[in-house]
Amino acid sequence: MDSTPVVELYDVSKIYPMPAGDVHALNHINFSVQKGEFVAIMGPSGSGKSTMMNMIGCLDVPTSGIIKINGKSTSDMTDDELTIHRRDTIGFIFQKFNLISLLTAYENVEYPLILKNGHHDTTTRTADLLRMVGLTDGQMQHTPYELSGGQQQRVSIARALANDPTFLLCDEPTGNLDSKMSNQIMGLLKDLHEQGRTIVMVTHNPVTAEYADRIVIIKDGEIVDE
Amino acid sequence: MSEIQETFLQRIYSPMVLSLAIRNLKLNKFRTILSMIGIVIGVFAICAMGMVSASFTEEMNSMISDEADTLTIMPIGEKVIDGVTTTGFSDKDLRNIESAVKSVSNEYDFIPMYSSTKYIYIGKDTTMATFSGMETNDINTLVTLTEGTLPRGASNVIVGETFAEDNNLRIGSRITMLSSTGQEVTCRVVGIMENTGMMTLGFATNNAIVGSIECYTSIVGSNHDLYDEVIVRAYDSTQLNAMDDAIEKKMNGKADKDSDNTVSIINSYEIMGLFDDIMSMASIFTTIISGISLLVAAVAIVNVMLMSVKERTREVGILRSIGTFKNQILQMFLYEAGLIGLIGAIIGTILALIASPILLIAMNGSAEAMLSPSVLAYIPIGILTGLIVCLISGLYPAWKAANLNPVEAMATD
Repeated sequence: MDSTPVVELYDVSKIYPMPAGDVHALNHINFSVQKGEFVAIMGPSGSGKSTMMNMIGCLDVPTSGIIKINGKSTSDMTDDELTIHRRDTIGFIFQKFNLISLLTAYENVEYPLILKNGHHDTTTRTADLLRMVGLTDGQMQHTPYELSGGQQQRVSIARALANDPTFLLCDEPTGNLDSKMSNQIMGLLKDLHEQGRTIVMVTHNPVTAEYADRIVIIKDGEIVDE
Repeated sequence: MSEIQETFLQRIYSPMVLSLAIRNLKLNKFRTILSMIGIVIGVFAICAMGMVSASFTEEMNSMISDEADTLTIMPIGEKVIDGVTTTGFSDKDLRNIESAVKSVSNEYDFIPMYSSTKYIYIGKDTTMATFSGMETNDINTLVTLTEGTLPRGASNVIVGETFAEDNNLRIGSRITMLSSTGQEVTCRVVGIMENTGMMTLGFATNNAIVGSIECYTSIVGSNHDLYDEVIVRAYDSTQLNAMDDAIEKKMNGKADKDSDNTVSIINSYEIMGLFDDIMSMASIFTTIISGISLLVAAVAIVNVMLMSVKERTREVGILRSIGTFKNQILQMFLYEAGLIGLIGAIIGTILALIASPILLIAMNGSAEAMLSPSVLAYIPIGILTGLIVCLISGLYPAWKAANLNPVEAMATD
């Protein structure tokens, strides 16, 4: 791990205007993730961890404050620039796997490559990634509905790695899996971290959080413990 | 920013986005087919009505266009000669008409003729026909013979092709008419005139009998040397309206066009224009009717596409989150709408290509006009119309999908 910051949040606040009054989802958050770190963001429901994940994942912009990804501020980025960041810099792993049901496992992993390169994968990268996460050649041609939850999450991890992102952003990666499958997925994430991957994981599960180097506790939109 | 410029071409077309659109259409086959049926019907209506209407116009034009260079001038002013009231053109009238024509152009044919309807006796059969008498040179100018020679003398006539066929007449056949004094006069058919078509705006030959002036006057009489009709044929048909106006002015004066007139003029060029106007109106009317069916189809497409966007909100959220541009989401839904339009329009056009000749054969007995460019033009018109209507219909749903908030979209079940 080196000291290059991958994710930086400076005095970040997010306010959702509501008829009953403004909701302060995040309150003046200061936070950073260094290259090669495995950080877990923990907190109860409604604590603001999902909002923080959306900010880090360039899916939402803060009401105030500055977010830098790879040293670039996202505040002034256009929608297209944020989209490029999501495609090239961030590898998303979701709780519900979020695979595209119309595509096979292989095509789901190939999709980000096509988005970036404009053509089908002419290398063995897609297949290599799927083999790396433990899928057989036969399973690669299955649609998500034909795969188990654990297999779908493996495909999701392979997809997240497709464009060799700067960091992986995981939202409750084991939330929809049994304990055995959770251990396998977390083992896979641990392996990736050991290979030098930067991982930011949002979870409310203390067992899952134990895999991280650093645990950040968030409550009522503020970091309360680190 | 450089990254955006580099990926601009990639954002115009994405094979995976097209593949997603095709797969989604396949996944919802029944809905796709139902929305396609609307476009098939709409395009079929536009194409079939357009093709039939264009073929009909072509057919009509081929029947009457040759005659769009003729003014037929008939006398309506009464004359009292030797105490008898009659109508007709005197030599002076003819000189006046010709001078009016000459004031516009020297390039014309001027054919005065006698004309009346007569009972014709052929063997035991009796029929009616228009019997005309004119100078032999004028007959040569006015009609085309399919066989035989021009009539000369008092007992030779030529007959129209249809009249000859209907009455089994050929060169050498004899027909009989009653003279003004009640005597039977027998004439020999020496020539057959080419038909001028079902609809003619000039001299109609189909059911005509034409003889020399000598022949005509020996049978019908000369009516105080008054001619029954004058045909003016302009070499340049665009001068016909000017000739019409000149004759009108010279013969009927400026005062009142509707009363005290001495001549009535049938202007084939003007009638052709009128006919074209009527055909255009009919074409617009059929287009509106077809357009309504296409509009209904367009509303159905909008509905189907909005349903599709609603059902796939989560998928759009996922696609956006992993780096799909708004533009590509827009493309995906437009591809779907465009594919429905393109396939539906091609099917509709093919059905129209099958149905139109059948309709034309039923109406006209011939579908020959189907091959004319103005009819074949409906093939690209139909396909493009279907495609464009669907793309326009898909625009709002596609825009709505592209502008979904990724976070909110992914939270949708």
